[in-house]
Amino acid sequence: MLKINQLISGYGSVQILNGANMKVEKQSIVALLGGNGTGKSTILRAASGLIRSWKGTIEFNGEQIQNLPAHEIVGRGLVQVTQGKDVFPAMSVTENLKLGGFILKSKQQLLDNLEKVYNYFPRLNERKDQLAATLSGGELQMLCIGRGLMSNPKMIMLDEPSAALAPQIVLDIFKNINRIRQDGLTVLVVEQNVRMALLLADYGYVIKDGVINVEGDSKKLMYDESVKESYLGGTKANV
Amino acid sequence: MFNKLRIGKKGENIIFGTFVLLYIGWCVNSPDMNIESLKSVLTIGLSVGIIYGLVALGISLIYTGLDVVNFSHGEFFMIGAFAGLTMFNLLGNQDWIFNIFPDAYGWIIYVVCLFTAFVSMGLFGVFIERVFLRPLTKKGGGYTVAGMGIIICGFGLSVVLINVAYLIWNPVAKPFPAELGLPMEIGGLFLPITYIWMIVVGLSVAAGLWFFLNKTKMGLGIRAVAYSKDVSNLVGINVPLYISIIFGIACAIAGIGGTLVGPTYQVVVFMGYIILMKAFAAAVVGGFGNLPGAIVGGFTVGIFETASSFYISGSHKDLYAFLLMIVVLMIKPTGFFGVQVKMKA
Repeated sequence: MLKINQLISGYGSVQILNGANMKVEKQSIVALLGGNGTGKSTILRAASGLIRSWKGTIEFNGEQIQNLPAHEIVGRGLVQVTQGKDVFPAMSVTENLKLGGFILKSKQQLLDNLEKVYNYFPRLNERKDQLAATLSGGELQMLCIGRGLMSNPKMIMLDEPSAALAPQIVLDIFKNINRIRQDGLTVLVVEQNVRMALLLADYGYVIKDGVINVEGDSKKLMYDESVKESYLGGTKANV
Repeated sequence: MFNKLRIGKKGENIIFGTFVLLYIGWCVNSPDMNIESLKSVLTIGLSVGIIYGLVALGISLIYTGLDVVNFSHGEFFMIGAFAGLTMFNLLGNQDWIFNIFPDAYGWIIYVVCLFTAFVSMGLFGVFIERVFLRPLTKKGGGYTVAGMGIIICGFGLSVVLINVAYLIWNPVAKPFPAELGLPMEIGGLFLPITYIWMIVVGLSVAAGLWFFLNKTKMGLGIRAVAYSKDVSNLVGINVPLYISIIFGIACAIAGIGGTLVGPTYQVVVFMGYIILMKAFAAAVVGGFGNLPGAIVGGFTVGIFETASSFYISGSHKDLYAFLLMIVVLMIKPTGFFGVQVKMKA
């Protein structure tokens, strides 16, 4: 579904990605793992058109989408879900969700999708008239995912859905991500919470210094020595 | 104990209230104070104020949407007035309009002029934004990053636009003899009908903008773009297009302001500069970047200016708007409705 080939990109004159390769199969959950500053988010930003790709290709559904304007990429069904802090705080939950479906032409479709999102996240339905600024961290993350689902995407890319959340809420959100996949969407998760992400995903990529370092089945990655050492903690501190 | 001496929000309001009371006291003590003069101060103040408010509305709209202050906004006001006047001169001697609408002839032409100014200034604003301002953001980061360059460019644009207008319309002040009807009597006061037009049309434009921003899908998109360009991109909003729309709307409103002022005063090439400065004062008084605040600030500046020139001294008319701005900045730096926001260029 999404194929990234020798992607080189960065900010200003600073090169972050040095030829990253990855592939996301249809209806799978793929985890992209790595520490701070390794280029995880840069891949997402390049794929969703927020920054330019300098070299290499990004293919979505067989079409090259690199350097298309961001709103056209959303129109093709590839949507990036931002971190929970990136909502519109002065708008109500419903307005935030309606913005997610901004590209939809028909009003009925918008209402149907709204219903669908409330079905995924009943908590949002309880708080639909509240300003987004008053939501808790977990609810904000739900709102972001819900907003991503509003435009009928074929694939969503989540940017650290577990950031700064309590484990119980992370579990809840990950369960919902699994439900979303079962409903036919493809999911790419960028995570620092390696253990949780590998439990959720089918396949994993580990990025280091702008290139894919290790890849493989998530079950295999979990027992991979280098991954264990770098991200899951050593044997001593394995809690 | 000293903690209590700190000026908080409440302290600010108390000091500002004291200032207002002192000012009112000064005005009441003036020998010119009577009910008739108060009535005319209010009407002239409100009608001038709505013009400052409309231009301030554009400045605030551009500031919230593009994160820059547009210092060439007064020139859109001036060119808008000329656009309205040009349309007026085209239609003014057409007999067929008079034959169809013998009664409503004057104001139908005037409405067409307002509409012309609105549309032409909207398109002109989009043109200026695309051709002169957008290339400055080539290096990436959009308007937020290119801020200072855009502001300097605004000053330059102001000089260029004044001189282009000078070439086209020459510097002679031109009358705008719109035939809107006889003065109207309100509460024993005979008011030129153009004052009523200013207030009514100005408030309708402000209300229309509020409706547009809050009740339509495009308005929702504009509010989203104003808050965050990145997130707006990710929900599929065409951000470059929306930035042009924001600039265009702000310029169109300034154009309407210019045409509204025309019949009361005159249309002259240099009218934009002082309006820009006073609208800036109005925006600061109302709270920079706050749209309802811009209108309230416009009324405040208008009434303060008119009252001061009636009751204190008429020979320093242009001083009062800036005096008020300084007082507000000293006592209540966020203005009436402003909030402290993150850094903007």
